[in-house]
Amino acid sequence: MTHIIEARDVSVTFGSGATKVEAVKNVSLTLTTGEPLGIVGESGSGKSTLARVLAGLQPPTSGEVLFDGKPIYKGNKSYVGDERHLVQMVFQDPYASLNPQLTALSAVAEAVRIHDKCDRKSAEAKALELLQSMGIASMDAAKKPRQLSGGQRQRVSVARALSANPSVLLADEPTSAIDQSAQAQLLNLFRGLLNQGLAIVLVSHDLGVIRYLTKRVYVMKDGVFVESGDTESIFNDPKQAYTKELLASIPGTLGVAARKKLQG
Amino acid sequence: MTNTTKKLLQVADLQIGIPHPRRETLVIVNKASFDVGYGEMVGIVGESGSGKTMVCRSMIGTLERRGAKVLAGQVLFEDQDLAHASEATWKKLRGKAIGYVPQSALAGPNPVLTIGAQLSEALKKSDTKGTIAEQSKALLDLVKIRRIDTVMKQYPNQLSGGMRQRVMIACALASSPKLLIADEPTTGLDVTVQAQIMVLLKEIRNDFGTAIILISHDLALIDDVCDRVVVMHAGATVEVGSVAEMTSPRHPYTVALNQSRIDIAVPGSELVTILGNAPSVGQWPDGCRFAGRCTIVQNDCTSGDHPPLFGDRGAHQSACLHADLLKGR
Repeated sequence: MTHIIEARDVSVTFGSGATKVEAVKNVSLTLTTGEPLGIVGESGSGKSTLARVLAGLQPPTSGEVLFDGKPIYKGNKSYVGDERHLVQMVFQDPYASLNPQLTALSAVAEAVRIHDKCDRKSAEAKALELLQSMGIASMDAAKKPRQLSGGQRQRVSVARALSANPSVLLADEPTSAIDQSAQAQLLNLFRGLLNQGLAIVLVSHDLGVIRYLTKRVYVMKDGVFVESGDTESIFNDPKQAYTKELLASIPGTLGVAARKKLQG
Repeated sequence: MTNTTKKLLQVADLQIGIPHPRRETLVIVNKASFDVGYGEMVGIVGESGSGKTMVCRSMIGTLERRGAKVLAGQVLFEDQDLAHASEATWKKLRGKAIGYVPQSALAGPNPVLTIGAQLSEALKKSDTKGTIAEQSKALLDLVKIRRIDTVMKQYPNQLSGGMRQRVMIACALASSPKLLIADEPTTGLDVTVQAQIMVLLKEIRNDFGTAIILISHDLALIDDVCDRVVVMHAGATVEVGSVAEMTSPRHPYTVALNQSRIDIAVPGSELVTILGNAPSVGQWPDGCRFAGRCTIVQNDCTSGDHPPLFGDRGAHQSACLHADLLKGR
């Protein structure tokens, strides 16, 4: 069991003085190669900030993050070696993270060209292959983001993230802006990627998605982890009051069971 | 509470379209039929683009603002036909007998008005008793906002998403409407806040007998709080029934929706997805609009008109010609 990513005592502080916000406080986390890991929490819990720290987008105020045993931040620079491409991120709103002027194909091809340093033609061929593996037909690949459905857009951004052949995919609320059946499609794809050995960090407030996909989960509140462990045991036997409340809020069958437990 | 003989709202064979000066009128809703009883909580589910929001816009008379209009059918609200109501009629109904909570809680309240000003705006048109300040406070208390005096002086950007949605619900309740339409009221809010808002909606229904239409694409959520469910696909109502009846769905689309539910899936198992995409507006095929994605499609499904809802109004209705084939699934 090797830890592909390890965060040690990471803190992130924004602002200073009266407006100082401690978004993440002394958080430590490990991610094993090929592992599906969940981070749950409500808005403002610091989960997205933590994801950005892991992705190399947000230098921590203190603490360190190791990728394959090597620190990823040197001062304010991150992933100074060749590792940058190995950690890729998918964002919450695919519409905002795709260039509205580019077709799905050129958006992905551009990423392929940068990472593989190849010519346009072979980049487009590989991009099309990636898009098709994400269930985007070549007819849809020629469309611009506004012509695609929400689920398709999100799959285009996953294809773009995969163009770098990453070993870790950080997904920040990837399912919150899409329909139920599109969500099922995306989760099936994620499951396929896990089988291929990709590690996925799923940041979400949707506990149903976390339960379905991840094996281990960190529950975050106000910048700290209140509970962590095996996803199944946390869902069946939550220890912290906050986790219990969170579980009871899930709509449908899962929540009903948790609500019954909460009432004793 | 529930009046069994008379319905508060009756939508029958509703057809909504966007007229175009040169091209053919684009039909976006066709064959939408359902009822809402007094004090009943009805959920409308469907994918984005299935027409759920447009149907609700026809109940508050804001279709024209999107360039759309009712082409045919009826929207009866207590014997008043809303489908062809005049602007004067709307002024009497909208925000009074029918309240509306828009989709985006974050963009809902006017950013340059304090919460107090926002509420007095809503209360000006109502004819309830007491001073506006007293009433505003009572409304905020009703939607369980604490520190009312502070909140009255605050601007929307100083409130959290959940608080803003509560304010929007307070505004919609200002004139004690008989019908409250909540269009995806919890999209973008945390699960815990979502659960609180749902508890609030249920209390409003139970305490005041307000009928509520809850639009959502989350079947699990609707199962939790609603009495009846209306399923929409590509501009048509394809299944209508009580929450209990929906556990044995009679339309393949509902079957697929149920199967793609993540809260009942075994972790790590293959999730059932619905084949392809819903047909785009303006490209609806002949016959059933779900036929292209259906697992039990038959020869007679792809010709003629889109099937209407079969069965008695008020009972479990499905628009599937071959619902019998679903038995035992």
